[in-house]
Amino acid sequence: MAFFQRATDYPCQLILDPQNDYETLRRRVEQTTLKAQTVNRNRSGVTNVSSPGKSLNLYPSNEYEVLPNGSEAHWEVVERILFIYAKLNPGIAYVQGMNEIVGPIYYTFATDPNDEWKEHAEADTFFCFTNLMSENRDNFIKSLDDSQCGITFKMESVYSMLKDRDMELYLKLQEQNIKPQYFTFRWLTLLLSQEFLLPDVIRIWDSLFSDQDRFHFLILVCCAMLILIRDQLLAGDFTINMRLLQDYPITDVHTILAKAKELQDHS
Amino acid sequence: MSETYDFLFKFLVIGNAGTGKSCLLHQFIEKRFKDESNHTIGVEFGSKIISVVNKMVKLQIWDTAGQERFRSVTRSYYRGAAGALLVYDITSRETYNALTTWLSDARMLASQNIVIILCGNKKDLEADREVTFLEASRFAQENELMFLETSALTGENVEEAFIQCARKILNKIDSGELDPERMGSGIQYGDAALRQLRSPRRGQPQGSQDCSC
Repeated sequence: MAFFQRATDYPCQLILDPQNDYETLRRRVEQTTLKAQTVNRNRSGVTNVSSPGKSLNLYPSNEYEVLPNGSEAHWEVVERILFIYAKLNPGIAYVQGMNEIVGPIYYTFATDPNDEWKEHAEADTFFCFTNLMSENRDNFIKSLDDSQCGITFKMESVYSMLKDRDMELYLKLQEQNIKPQYFTFRWLTLLLSQEFLLPDVIRIWDSLFSDQDRFHFLILVCCAMLILIRDQLLAGDFTINMRLLQDYPITDVHTILAKAKELQDHS
Repeated sequence: MSETYDFLFKFLVIGNAGTGKSCLLHQFIEKRFKDESNHTIGVEFGSKIISVVNKMVKLQIWDTAGQERFRSVTRSYYRGAAGALLVYDITSRETYNALTTWLSDARMLASQNIVIILCGNKKDLEADREVTFLEASRFAQENELMFLETSALTGENVEEAFIQCARKILNKIDSGELDPERMGSGIQYGDAALRQLRSPRRGQPQGSQDCSC
């Protein structure tokens, strides 16, 4: 998203101030790459070239072009949040997908109409992200995958709820051997943030976070998403259905939330 | 659009994070480079029908997440795969060093007979190369893998990788080395083939074309 490539109005002054001799994350990343290259060359002895330009070209598509000294892009702020989270929580560290969770939170704070809120977006995001992760982190820990609190159990519970609410659809998915792991893994670990556009994600999260039992509500939302496309799923074959589930067709999140609420009220 | 095909093969795309697995799949299906790409979380899915030695083959491709954390989840996608693209990045020795683990996972969890093609991706980044062609082709030979260097950016060898892997599977079906009817073979007959196959003389599928049973 273009937003994350733009400069923030509130970069971390402490780091950017040339008076202070802090190492920026930017420089750290460059140095790590260089060091790794040297080691590789020593060990194998077969590597032919190491390009001098490589470390500067970490993101070849220029998608994350480094801004001039003295300014920071929003993505660098997000990167710092994740970096510090990973350092403080070495048992979880960084897992791909955490960026999709921190992104909407940061976006919400950093675009607040009130400048004072905007100014503290980094700290507020860190606080909220840490809080959210304290409830959600089991999804990111591999060794818990098959435990009661791990992701496998949650994926299965989408299907057990579906079985109660729409037996026909449940049996169809079973018959086609479409396992919940094939699509609910992403739905659940990323709290649906990759399934919808950012404004819609924020709307869904509003409902999720305001629910006392938010992770149960998430399962209701997933179940509602399935039931809302039941006719298409019942008509489709394996390939068509996998595509529907991986690229969810309904964009009106209000319909989905209303359905989830209905399922909740009738339980 | 009618979907007639002779065979359906389940394929996996595996390898370390950041080697370009999703971009290879995207290039193969859409014939374009995917510049804006997210990390794959869990699995992504694609399918395409290709023509290989006079047969229409539908590939059902499972593009898996590469990061270590996802390993236990992605393993559940391996079962019954007939073919795999094992991908490393020619500019990263680390991704090459991980190949052995990926290979044993694939053989153990998918099937012993899985046909694997090794793909050294990012061939376009010659200046940053850390793994030579020769070294990788020796590795491929020792481990009975086919081998190509590919570029998801330019599209070079991308289609070839999928086609070579599919061709090898077809050959193995023809020679009787692979039995599509065995459970978990990762191979299914398509509508076009169902009517003609089930020949008692396995190993000569050409001759079975006219069999009407």
